[in-house]
Amino acid sequence: MRASSARHIAFVAFGVALLLAGSWWGLAKAPGEVFMGDVQRIMYVHVPTAWNAMLALTFAFVCALCFLFTNAWKWDNRLEAGMEMGVVLSLLLCMQGSIWAKPTWGVWWDWDPRLTTTAVMVFAFGGILALRAFVDDPVKRAVWSSVACIVAFVDVPIVYFSVKWWNSLHQAQSTPQTVSSAFHLPLRINAFGILFLWVGLVGLRARVAALRRRGEMAPPLTQKQSATGRAPITGGAV
Amino acid sequence: MNALFAAFRKDLLLQWRGRTQMVAIFAFGAAALLLFSFAIGPDSSALREHAAGFLWLGLLLASTLSLAESFECEMEEQALEGLLLLPASTRALYYGKAIANWAQLALLGMALVPVMVVLYDAGTLRLFSLLVVILLGTAGLSAPGTLYAAMTSQTRARQTLLPLLLFPLVVPVLLAAVKATSLVILGDPMEQYRPWITLLGAFAVIHWSIGGLLFGRVVED
Amino acid sequence: MSGVIEGGWEFVIAAYTVSALLLGGYATSVFLRFKKEKARAPDEVSG
Repeated sequence: MRASSARHIAFVAFGVALLLAGSWWGLAKAPGEVFMGDVQRIMYVHVPTAWNAMLALTFAFVCALCFLFTNAWKWDNRLEAGMEMGVVLSLLLCMQGSIWAKPTWGVWWDWDPRLTTTAVMVFAFGGILALRAFVDDPVKRAVWSSVACIVAFVDVPIVYFSVKWWNSLHQAQSTPQTVSSAFHLPLRINAFGILFLWVGLVGLRARVAALRRRGEMAPPLTQKQSATGRAPITGGAV
Repeated sequence: MNALFAAFRKDLLLQWRGRTQMVAIFAFGAAALLLFSFAIGPDSSALREHAAGFLWLGLLLASTLSLAESFECEMEEQALEGLLLLPASTRALYYGKAIANWAQLALLGMALVPVMVVLYDAGTLRLFSLLVVILLGTAGLSAPGTLYAAMTSQTRARQTLLPLLLFPLVVPVLLAAVKATSLVILGDPMEQYRPWITLLGAFAVIHWSIGGLLFGRVVED
Repeated sequence: MSGVIEGGWEFVIAAYTVSALLLGGYATSVFLRFKKEKARAPDEVSG
């Protein structure tokens, strides 16, 4: 099994390398955009983060479905890892979006439907991670977080539409987050960079979850092990 | 169907027996509405403009108490296991409880309307339209709320987890219900009421469906 | 949107720095937890 963790670490390293290359290209080589100026360069890391955040949460959703159908622990490990990664990426997306909004719109938050939906997702999936922390029974924890993940994921499009509509009645703004074709290369490199990074991290994180559960479900100490002085778990005399 | 009706009757009976608690929850909701007006200040026009928002925020906060309470009795004496041993599908149990919770929340919403009218000078003659919003909005709260209350009532930190899980999920209900209520109170010159109601209805349909499908897994042993 | 946004490099740097810190910090946290769990149970077979 060392082979699989080596692969995960390799993915992470490769992802970081791609991100460094893509970011260098976007920051140093690509020309500034006509209207947005250099602020547009935030897009080279913002758009890839958006794609990957959605991908990670979709992955978590699929793991939740797989767990409910198969009851295999590996899907719960991946669910935990996928949700945590998805929350981190979504949080990052909100922070990037805020940094983008200030020079662009003059405010730290402009209620853009995509970003607002992402903020709701941070709370929704973060809440499920909190739920996991308060459930001691591993089976219940796995079933409930799968159920909650499915409900939250199904809710995402509804949240998006309701916010989009709610916002459109107030401002008829068009958010220029499309990137013209001249700038696609750094975008693609960074997108794959984050992809490899999060796939590798999810692999490692799922292993952490598996190892933790093994520790949790370990049988009580035997008589021999408890000869160190700890009280024997079986009530009999030592 | 019989099982559903029996479950519904049981939950309704439990609510009736615990009606003093219902009064307390109403008092909590009314107190919240009062506090909101203190937060804004004695600016009548501002209060009137945001009355719909305050009503639904107050109702949402009160709903966490009411939903959590709906599973309290199931936790005593292992009543939940007893229910599951009965020859009734978990689906019937879910819908029975969800409908009872819906009724309680709708009643709570309607009871808070006069409070809103008085505190924020937010009266309206379009009572039927207002009733529709309350019914659909509370339906949207009840379905996921019952599902999550079933989970969180079995955990530690149950009082924190239920709102933490429920609030992000019901953002569409809050948005749509506040908008629709606002249109009823302040006027609707561009006929936007119907689309918001449709959104509330769609949300309710989706969550009542998946709630019924998933409840069985939540309460299984 | 018309008009040109002058400068703004500090925002660009802020965005990239935040991204690097958050992703790097999370990756470090995962690595550390992985090391800790492996040290606790080194002979476990992965599930």
